[in-house]
Amino acid sequence: MHIPDGYLSPQTYIPLFGVFAAAVTVAVKKVKKEVSARDIPYLGMAAAFSFIIMMFNLPIPGGTTGHAVGSAVIAILFGPWAAVVAVSVAIIIQALIFGDGGITAIGANCFNMAVCMPFAAYYLFRLFSYGSAKKSRVFFAAFIAGYLSLVLAAILTGIEFGIQPLIASSVDGKALYCPYDLKIAVPAMAIEHLLLFGIVEGVITAIIVKYFLKNEPGLIYAFRKGGKNENE
Amino acid sequence: MENKIPPYLIKIADPQYDPASIKGAKLSFLDKTILNSSKAVKSIYLQAENAAKDNFIQKINPTIKVISLIYMAIVISIVSNLRTQLIITVIIFLLFIIARLKLYEVYRKILFLAFIFGFLVVLPAALNVITPGKIIFNIITFNKPSHFLIYNIPQNIGITIHGIEVVSLVFLRVLNSVSFALLVVYTTPFPSFIKSFKSIGVPDIFLMILSLAYKYIFILSRTIEETYFAFKSRLLGNIKNSSIRRLIGGRIFYIFKKSMIIYQDTYNAMVSRGYSGKVVLHSRNHFTVKDVIVLMVIVISGIVLILF
Repeated sequence: MHIPDGYLSPQTYIPLFGVFAAAVTVAVKKVKKEVSARDIPYLGMAAAFSFIIMMFNLPIPGGTTGHAVGSAVIAILFGPWAAVVAVSVAIIIQALIFGDGGITAIGANCFNMAVCMPFAAYYLFRLFSYGSAKKSRVFFAAFIAGYLSLVLAAILTGIEFGIQPLIASSVDGKALYCPYDLKIAVPAMAIEHLLLFGIVEGVITAIIVKYFLKNEPGLIYAFRKGGKNENE
Repeated sequence: MENKIPPYLIKIADPQYDPASIKGAKLSFLDKTILNSSKAVKSIYLQAENAAKDNFIQKINPTIKVISLIYMAIVISIVSNLRTQLIITVIIFLLFIIARLKLYEVYRKILFLAFIFGFLVVLPAALNVITPGKIIFNIITFNKPSHFLIYNIPQNIGITIHGIEVVSLVFLRVLNSVSFALLVVYTTPFPSFIKSFKSIGVPDIFLMILSLAYKYIFILSRTIEETYFAFKSRLLGNIKNSSIRRLIGGRIFYIFKKSMIIYQDTYNAMVSRGYSGKVVLHSRNHFTVKDVIVLMVIVISGIVLILF
């Protein structure tokens, strides 16, 4: 899921960095407004949590690995704007310290996993839980939110890979960046996340949200923002 | 007087003991992942250790290094010539020697990352089905060309010269980007990175979360390792998957609760030291003539490499 350096052309990573920078600027303002100074360390903890989740790589056929992201659970528990900041921090630390994800691709990786994914997860959760705090419905809604939001992030990554041969090739038609076109990149990214990593993300999201619902329902941001409380 | 304590209880544990390294030891995937993740997080200390050395590269102003990192990442991404990418590989290797870093350990990590992300993933692009061109090594021949869903399958599938060039270019780009990033990371303490980000205009709240997250990663990693092995040591016999999911969910929630206590303590500690929501730098990174010269050399080198 983490795009390394060398796969995206400047025509792709510069605009995506611009979108990410704009999103994170708004997120910082929103977080300052919504989160008190007391809760800033809590966001640091959320970022560390996302970082740790992303370190749990699963081996997949073909010799590579994949992992859950944790954006969905952070968006449901802390709110989508806070998730933008927390997951971006996790991705930046991963790129700088572990070499997992490229420096030039920070904007693209953050756009996929720290901007689009938390918002998709948050609104999917709101949609499927329908404001109810019934355990089974919350579990299902959290699973769907984690599952579909990760698949969405994977498809966005596939599109970013797939457009490279179209926008950045040499005079003799050779690919200069990611060599796989949309017909290969999008299905490859979508299928492995539909069949494997999406399920992992969904299960992790559902288990954590279920435990919060049982023990600390007041901490779930998605319920604080207009949900009913009919815990059963 | 002879004690009656069983010998295995009084035996002092070997500090080098690593269950993953025992020959023939069968560890589950989760055990391995926990051990490897914890090992990787601990290795961050290696960075701080090396960064403290008093070498030429270590002494360069961190802000210059961060600017150089971004600039060189862009240069490496723009250069599309194999020969120039090879020159960059050699230059970075020489810089590692000048920085007196542990070459074997650093390059083992670099080559592992470059092999996974820059070679294995892109290897199929060497075939004519991805990169058309003259086949130099035929792998398989079908009776006739065919069509499957949206894909055209040619009669002959093999490796092309253009394909090898594409794979080599992406591999060298990934190798150079990862190695330059690690060169900067291994020669710059993380707190200096934070100061540099402040200098280039990153908002305070973002920096605060960044530095707290960096510290929490160590605490969380250790808590997870201890919690997991404590939990595993209490398991006996076959346990249903649903029970394991419930137990793991409970452990994750426990880690969250523990983290909340830590963050509340952290906040109280910060307030008692005068925290008011604003990040104040105690010492700014001052530029010297040497830093300016280094920056100029890097900028000119980048332009030369692009035009070469």
